[in-house]
Amino acid sequence: MTVAGPQGAFSQPEQEPDPRQQPDRKPELGSGSATATPRGIFDPQTLSACISCGFCLPACPTYAQTKLENSSPRGRITLMRALEDGRLDPDDPTLQREAGLCLGCRACETVCPAGVKYGELLEQWRDHQWRGRHTPLVAGGLRAGVRVTAALAAGGLVRGAARTTGPADPSRPHIMLGCMERSLYPGISKAVLRLVPDADVPSGQGCCGALHAHNGGSVEGARLAAALGQTMPGTIVSTSGGCAAYLDHQLGHGRVQELSQFLVARWAADPSSKPRLRPIMIDGRIARIGLQDSCQLRNGMGVSAQPRALLREIGDYVELPSAGTCCGGAGTYSMLQPAMSQAVLAPTMVQAQEAGLDYLVSLNVVCQRQLATGVKRSRVPVQVIHLAELLERALGD
Amino acid sequence: MSGLPVSALTPSPTSSSDLTPTAPRLPAGAGRPVPPDILDRLRSIVGADHVLVSDGDVEPYARDATPLFRSRPGCVLLPATTSEVAQVLRLATEHGIPVTPRGAGSNLAAATIPEHGGIVLVLTRMTALKEISGDELLAVVEAGVTTAELADAAAAKGLLYAPDPGSRTVSTVAGNVAMCAGGLRGLKYGVTRNYVLGLEAVLPTGEVIRTGGRLWKDVAGYDLTRLLTGSEGTLAVITEVTVALLPMPAIARTGVAYFPTLAHASRAVAGVIHDGIVPATLEFLDNRCINAVEDFAKLGLDREAGALLLFGDDGTAEAVERSLAIMANTCEREGARGVTMARDIAESEALLTARRCSLPALARLAPITMLEDATVPRTRLAEMVDRIDAIAARHNVVCATFGHAGDGNLHPTIVFDPADGDVRHRAEAAFSDVFDTAIELGGTITGEHGVGAAKRPYLERRLGADQMALLRRLKAAFDPAGILNPGKLGS
Ligand SMILES: Cc1cc2nc3c(=O)[nH]c(=O)nc-3n(C[C@H](O)[C@H](O)[C@H](O)COP(=O)(O)OP(=O)(O)OC[C@H]3O[C@@H](n4cnc5c(N)ncnc54)[C@H](O)[C@@H]3O)c2cc1C
Ligand code: SF4
Ligand code: SF4
Repeated sequence: MTVAGPQGAFSQPEQEPDPRQQPDRKPELGSGSATATPRGIFDPQTLSACISCGFCLPACPTYAQTKLENSSPRGRITLMRALEDGRLDPDDPTLQREAGLCLGCRACETVCPAGVKYGELLEQWRDHQWRGRHTPLVAGGLRAGVRVTAALAAGGLVRGAARTTGPADPSRPHIMLGCMERSLYPGISKAVLRLVPDADVPSGQGCCGALHAHNGGSVEGARLAAALGQTMPGTIVSTSGGCAAYLDHQLGHGRVQELSQFLVARWAADPSSKPRLRPIMIDGRIARIGLQDSCQLRNGMGVSAQPRALLREIGDYVELPSAGTCCGGAGTYSMLQPAMSQAVLAPTMVQAQEAGLDYLVSLNVVCQRQLATGVKRSRVPVQVIHLAELLERALGD
Repeated sequence: MSGLPVSALTPSPTSSSDLTPTAPRLPAGAGRPVPPDILDRLRSIVGADHVLVSDGDVEPYARDATPLFRSRPGCVLLPATTSEVAQVLRLATEHGIPVTPRGAGSNLAAATIPEHGGIVLVLTRMTALKEISGDELLAVVEAGVTTAELADAAAAKGLLYAPDPGSRTVSTVAGNVAMCAGGLRGLKYGVTRNYVLGLEAVLPTGEVIRTGGRLWKDVAGYDLTRLLTGSEGTLAVITEVTVALLPMPAIARTGVAYFPTLAHASRAVAGVIHDGIVPATLEFLDNRCINAVEDFAKLGLDREAGALLLFGDDGTAEAVERSLAIMANTCEREGARGVTMARDIAESEALLTARRCSLPALARLAPITMLEDATVPRTRLAEMVDRIDAIAARHNVVCATFGHAGDGNLHPTIVFDPADGDVRHRAEAAFSDVFDTAIELGGTITGEHGVGAAKRPYLERRLGADQMALLRRLKAAFDPAGILNPGKLGS
């Protein structure tokens, strides 16, 4: 335990400095023994952008749970700085814990007036923190697992999803088959094909790399994203907010569009392309529909109005107070941090029940699985469904 | 009383004629690790889960929102009740262990930096909104409730909690009281001090006191409520706050005027007051601030303008209409190049939110943003603004200025990259001149952000030796062992 002593950072009990000569502002030396040179884990400019104002505290779901500075965005950035400057040992248990406990939801980014790119800092942090033996088992397993699923899918071995149509035709929008989606929720891509009939489903699609990047493998993630971009020249339509936001960042703005974003833009530009949407009925009344935003989509890409606009057209849309807050699915999070993941999800379940929802719509398969598990566990009588599939129902037969 | 230094019990020997700076009085345990047996006793008081001791766990409590200051505490405690706070303080006094109270750590004066180690006592787990009474026009909250939570709960009952610091979504009510926070409504409504009716506080020696209460009139004894307000965590730990509320005004509206320079905007402020209007809000931003805020908030502000004046008022529809019309008129008379009115509440809120973000938004310009808080009489505002410009030029630093213009309260902010040679010393020299200038114009070194460790070296310039000595005697009366926030006010 190191403590700032009388000889510590700022205190000079013996001789109060003459204020004129030496105002009492001392450099950030602090009490931990700092290495002279930074460790080079973080991009210095990104790391120095935070001024510790704390404006991000109320936005952070993990801080809301713990009320501890450590599990707040500001506190985590302070920890990153201590790691970078050598004030904390790379094996420090708090660093290990907090790198994992952060949801990566980036809610802190949208409220930060200083424009701190927290998502990038987190990637750099996990790249370092989760190397070798420090990789949480599940994260490593998933990184590998996704690779296998992607390989299987590329070989056409996973059945049920929309059939691939051969190499990408650059003049048509491409449906991207998310790795987890094509095995767990094959109906989603089929639904997209009915909403975007002129789309193709290029074969040989790999993984977008988001899961890798968010789990300590940003180099591999970037490589996968680039490869996917090459396989699918032109517009890529994604049904997963997480994949869309990552590709948007990696391939450049505009290459990738999330489904609701794509549909709203296309139907506005060319109303004749818009199919007739009928309200979804339940027991002779219009269905009550709630939404769970995808964090990456909302906070990373700034897309939140589009899915709401679509849902208002097909039902009685109810904005849940927690619609914009992370559901705790967060990529691999629900597996790595089950307790916090459940705690973060709990308010959504209560609200869905209170609002008397018929449908709770997701924009990302990871959220979908998290919500589906949640409603089953808490016995909330609401159906969890992906936006694409609910829109497909509004098309009728 | 083991470990209690004798010197700690006797008042500081400083006589009023002694002009040499006095060494701060520090408790016996200053700068030492918290002994393991004490840690065990602390764990049994607040629960093991609420005692943080590892390097990593305490590191985030080594700093607050003040740049360039950090110092790691020995441990961090998060008590849940007044009784826990009292037990902790009694133990700390007994063993001479420094205790630094902390709310949200959003202060800008390095007031929560545990310079001498010891315990950081965090009140964020005490979050009960105990009472909102429309009949008595008051609210009772625990220390860790945020300003916005209090204001929202009051608003839900049609009541207004008037103090409105820019940090309202983050800062705690007790933190506001301890710093006597101001905000965006100071001109018409005053600051935190004007709304604190009563406090529950724990003395460093462990006694729980209740000052003031629910009464609007109560002159029994010294006004300890006011003394604790602005005491920066050096006299007692506040555990519960009773504040006055007001009926919510019928409407609130906001407008924006753009000026060629900040001095023009300052003259408009003087003009408004001269016209007999005391509006709720008069805030200004210079060109650099306008651009930084616009980069974040994207409201369509005029990036070319030299200064922006945000003016607003609340009350009955008629009165607000009239007051805004007069202010718009005055702005035009003082050379505004454009005046626009917010169309609705959402637009008004967006403007105020943007203003609250000025400081962090300025962080976009450079790695370090060093801001000050000089305040002058409103009539000297234009002069002060010009002098700040001259000082910045003389010391060759980039300074962006915004502030609560209606209160004469300026936040000149120097932005710099520490890699850039001796810029930090130039910034410090510039601020030293700013303080001298403020005092010369009849103002003060800090209007609302407080003294903390950051402005400690300048305090005597404002107070003089006699008052400095009195501060020490007061501090010693409250805190014989000198454990509370040692090294800060009154040490
Ligand atoms: C972007 C930004 C904008 C701001 N705008 C304003 C503004 O408009 N007006 C303004 O006045 N300030 C402003 N501030 C400064 C700051 O928010 C206020 O000083 C606020 O009152 C601090 O509250 P806190 O809960 O964060 O307290 P902290 O920073 O945690 O503590 C501040 C001081 O209070 C003491 N303290 C905290 N809790 C207690 C307690 N329970 N008992 C005894 N002492 C205690 C601490 O020891 C410390 O000395 C701003 C800060 C930021 C970052
Ligand atoms: S991340 Fe942004 S909002 Fe949070 S403390 Fe840092 S500067 Fe402030
Ligand atoms: S990404 Fe989400 S969980 Fe992580 S610090 Fe930011 S707001 Fe908190």
